[in-house]
Amino acid sequence: MVIGLEVHAQLNTSSKLFSSSPNQFGSEPNENVNFIDSGMPGMLPVMNFACIEMAIKTGFALNFNINKYSVFERKNYFYPDLPQGYQISQFEFPILTEGFINIDNEGNQKKIRIERAHLEQDAGKSIHDIDPKFSFIDLNRVGTPLLEIVSYPDLSSAEEVVSYMSSLRQVLMYIDVCDGNMQEGSLRADVNLSVRKKGGELGTRCEIKNLNSFKFIRQAIEYEYKRQIDVIENGGKIEQNTMLFDTSTGETRAMRSKEFSHDYRYFPDPDLLPVNLTQDQIDKVKTSVGELPQAKLDKFIKDYNVDKDIAKIITVEKQNAILFEKMISETDVKPKFIAAWLVGDIFAFIKENNLEVSSLNEKTKEITDLLKLVSDDVISNKAGKEILPKVLNGQGKPSDIVKELGLEQVSDSGELEKIIDEALIGEDENISKFQGGSDRVLGYFVGKCLKATKGKGNPKLINKILLERLKN
Amino acid sequence: MSDIDIKRISYLAKLKLPHEKEEFYANSLKDIIKWVDNLKKIDTSEIEPLHNVTEKTVSIRTDEINKSNSVDDVLSNAPERAQNFFKVPKVVE
Repeated sequence: MVIGLEVHAQLNTSSKLFSSSPNQFGSEPNENVNFIDSGMPGMLPVMNFACIEMAIKTGFALNFNINKYSVFERKNYFYPDLPQGYQISQFEFPILTEGFINIDNEGNQKKIRIERAHLEQDAGKSIHDIDPKFSFIDLNRVGTPLLEIVSYPDLSSAEEVVSYMSSLRQVLMYIDVCDGNMQEGSLRADVNLSVRKKGGELGTRCEIKNLNSFKFIRQAIEYEYKRQIDVIENGGKIEQNTMLFDTSTGETRAMRSKEFSHDYRYFPDPDLLPVNLTQDQIDKVKTSVGELPQAKLDKFIKDYNVDKDIAKIITVEKQNAILFEKMISETDVKPKFIAAWLVGDIFAFIKENNLEVSSLNEKTKEITDLLKLVSDDVISNKAGKEILPKVLNGQGKPSDIVKELGLEQVSDSGELEKIIDEALIGEDENISKFQGGSDRVLGYFVGKCLKATKGKGNPKLINKILLERLKN
Repeated sequence: MSDIDIKRISYLAKLKLPHEKEEFYANSLKDIIKWVDNLKKIDTSEIEPLHNVTEKTVSIRTDEINKSNSVDDVLSNAPERAQNFFKVPKVVE
């Protein structure tokens, strides 16, 4: 199968693309609508420059040509969720052309070329299921700035599409142009899919509209792929169609039985002059791009010696990486050790308590103090795990909690030796078993000694002393 | 000049034309196009397309919210409303 993707990313500006209404999700119906958004006659759109800057930023992050000259055009169609009668978009002269992104394809990198990206305004929302005879229209989303990112048909499986989409999402979130919230529709994809015999000519494509989760993208692709193959194998022909994905049945179906094909009659919007950027305006944005996910990943692996899989988990989202780097900067505990705790118990705590990762940025000092106690063997790993939630819940300084609960580990070898010697009294039979080659006995002895220390003995040290004793 | 598909044009413009008027409008449009086609007599092969007659760049504003009206203002011209929604004849994809 051959797949190209059109991804719509909502830019996370304060105000809309051409009006100063709030660009905000979850407001009351029509709360964020002014006379420009509602298409009142005589209103003039005025460009929000932050949108241009975000497009430029994306241009740098996704290796695009950033075009100094771009033109807004009208895409004409009538639908009640866009009262002005046309969508303002870029057509012949988009702001970004010829970019690419590298995706991870079963451990190998694959370069996905991106044909173009352009700015356009979103439409409103129609609600059909409140009243049987009427549709209800909420125009809050009208005019929301979108960056439409159009890939070449370089993708050839559902996995690759998901990998591409998540890499794109990651970059857009890192450079802070899109919040990446797919549930709220901040990032959605139209999938263009066709099938062909290996190496054969491209087939006719169908476009599946508006997929807003990785799960739906995967399901829709798998269903549509089978559907097209079935049609062809039964001697049929694929008709070029726009499809909808029904999330309840997991099936695709053709949208709009079109009496006439669409004709959007694009033409340059006379209300908006062409965009003419100066090199200076473009250069200014470059400094704000920041470190991209791939660079962070490489750094974590090479400079901090973090395992690849763990580094990947940390770099998935920017706030993870920020938290991690903040912790590293505040302690001499090894980054690798911190990383393991971060993706383990710390993330588990965040998930359990439904927290934002960034909420821990205030608590890094306490966390690293605790990790220091563990890595210095002052307390056991187990005790560390026990204390962590208390520290994160703000129940006190790690060292105080350790004292309070009497969790300090016995790492005094003299004391441990005494305990071990006592534990070995009357164990001649087991000792000779060990010396006869039964390793299992060692576990038994470690357990016995730990019990004698009420669990506070340093297991590493106990192990070491035991071995010395037993071998003699 | 290509023929005028008046049915398609009225569909795209969301205008209902009485059947007996179709020919009249088709001919009127043809006349307009014929007149505009005069422009084709000029050789523009050496001229760059121009998207706007002024050579200025788009006017911009900073990214600030300015709420200048209420929900009621926006809904006041709607033929029908339901709570704070516009209420329109059913449109289904």
